[in-house]
Amino acid sequence: MSAVPNKMPFDPGRAAYVTLNVVLLGFLLAPIAIVLVFAFNPTPYISFPPVGVSLRWFDKFFASSDFMNALWLSLWIAACVLVLAVVIGGACALALARGNLPGRGFFTAFFMSPLMLPAILTGLALFQSYLLVGIGRPVWGLIMAHTLIAVPYVLRTTLAVLHNFDRRIEEAAAVLGASPLRVFFEVTLPLIRPGVFAGGVFAFIVSFDQFPVSLFLVVPKGETLPVVLFNYMKFDLDGAIAAASMVSILLALAVVLVLERLIGLKAYVKL
Amino acid sequence: MDRRIVLRHDAEPMAAASRPSPIAWLIAPALLLFVLFFVLPFGVMAVMSVFSGNPVTNPNAFLTTRHYMRFIADDAGIFHDALWATLRIGLVTTVVSLLIGYPLAHWMARMQSRLGHVLVLMAVIAPLLTGIVVRTFAWMTILQDKGVINTTLMSWGLIHKPLPLMYNEFGTTVALVHIYVPFMVLTLTGVIGRIDERLEQAARSLGAGRLRAFVEVTLPLSLPGVLAGSLLVFALSISAYVTPSLMGGTDVLTLPMLIAQQVGTSFNPNFAGALGMILLLVCLVIVIAYNKILARLSGEKGLA
Repeated sequence: MSAVPNKMPFDPGRAAYVTLNVVLLGFLLAPIAIVLVFAFNPTPYISFPPVGVSLRWFDKFFASSDFMNALWLSLWIAACVLVLAVVIGGACALALARGNLPGRGFFTAFFMSPLMLPAILTGLALFQSYLLVGIGRPVWGLIMAHTLIAVPYVLRTTLAVLHNFDRRIEEAAAVLGASPLRVFFEVTLPLIRPGVFAGGVFAFIVSFDQFPVSLFLVVPKGETLPVVLFNYMKFDLDGAIAAASMVSILLALAVVLVLERLIGLKAYVKL
Repeated sequence: MDRRIVLRHDAEPMAAASRPSPIAWLIAPALLLFVLFFVLPFGVMAVMSVFSGNPVTNPNAFLTTRHYMRFIADDAGIFHDALWATLRIGLVTTVVSLLIGYPLAHWMARMQSRLGHVLVLMAVIAPLLTGIVVRTFAWMTILQDKGVINTTLMSWGLIHKPLPLMYNEFGTTVALVHIYVPFMVLTLTGVIGRIDERLEQAARSLGAGRLRAFVEVTLPLSLPGVLAGSLLVFALSISAYVTPSLMGGTDVLTLPMLIAQQVGTSFNPNFAGALGMILLLVCLVIVIAYNKILARLSGEKGLA
């Protein structure tokens, strides 16, 4: 298809194809752009077209102790999840790729399965377990739940890097007399670092934006930001939500840029 | 690509012959996490669904099938409707996501310019990273009575009262499609990208039109990807909670909403467990089919 358009000055079929795709991209991106508009729109209700530019919703968002407590809790949980998921997921990826384990395919599928099962059921199952054991709903329980959902992301990005690198580099280091430990710290670890980092960034976002797993596991006054936003939206639809959304979106965009810098986005096309 | 094939070629006999290396122990923390916080909890859910109460704290709790019977008998006439609504919304979401996702995936897979590819990919991934609550909010601002679409149409004088775009299945489905289309695109792009473009070119040089070359060559070859992507989107959309409960209003009741009601307002975790098991069963069937297709696709089992 690539060589054909050059020969013809105008190709209606090709034009329709590109137009259709641009429209579809618009469908994907327009809602996000609209959130941006409402975050800066000064009216107390969602009105369109916007009547001006103001920062009052950002003021309201950052001045509200409910929102701020939730924001800090979410950031704190996401940071814990990032560390845990990177350590657990990274180690697991190494074991799967380098451990000569029998049943490797089974284990990989098993560790990926939290992504495929409904997250709300994972939340429900954990809620019932905590209830059964009688430990209530502690923050560490929420952190472990998020870690469970985040590990597959770290596993996927790290495995992608491990599969693409030449094992002979490690073998060469070993042949030249490096101990296994030294090979690991001086060869393997630096080489897989981008994959682990990328997975960590995903883990952070997955936890920060997590709703279904958190739903049953948060306590009143100890809710994460998505849960607070959800409860707020049931009764109010003002710009404060848009401002909160903007904060989340900016965070996500920053993450996408970081990801692209680290290992390129191409690794994620292979779902 | 070349390097990978060579590598696998000499690595495989070695891997088959040698025993697990000490590195294999690194799997232990993940295994512990998954057993304690994934396998056991789902076991607990299954146990709870067949008990009358909490079997640990309540000595009078007894084994029963009444939660499942309650769902099957459906005296209030809402459970079966909820199940059908869940499946219906999932099906429509899947079909529309496919219609929207396929052209985008095809465009992306066949794009020559690296920059263009990255830009489209970012546009697809950015919504994926914005959180379900935020994206649902975006659609509420667009579809509600005073939302972007209704206000614009009314100011142009095209309609006199707002169209019912939200608080029904339509609005729910629109938002769900937007939320899950990226998964469809990413799955399909990988599959379409692996189809040799020269096959289509050969068909065209033999006289087939562009459309015919696509319909008879590329489309059939991408069918496994279509199936895999569809199953993924279906599994995700039947378990959605945020979007149907905010966009559906009183019109829509799905299985996940029913589960949340049982936990939150009725406080009947045992019945919630039974509902969860029913949803889990539906999802497991889908997931197993998805994994089978993906394994056949990549030739390398389980490497999602």
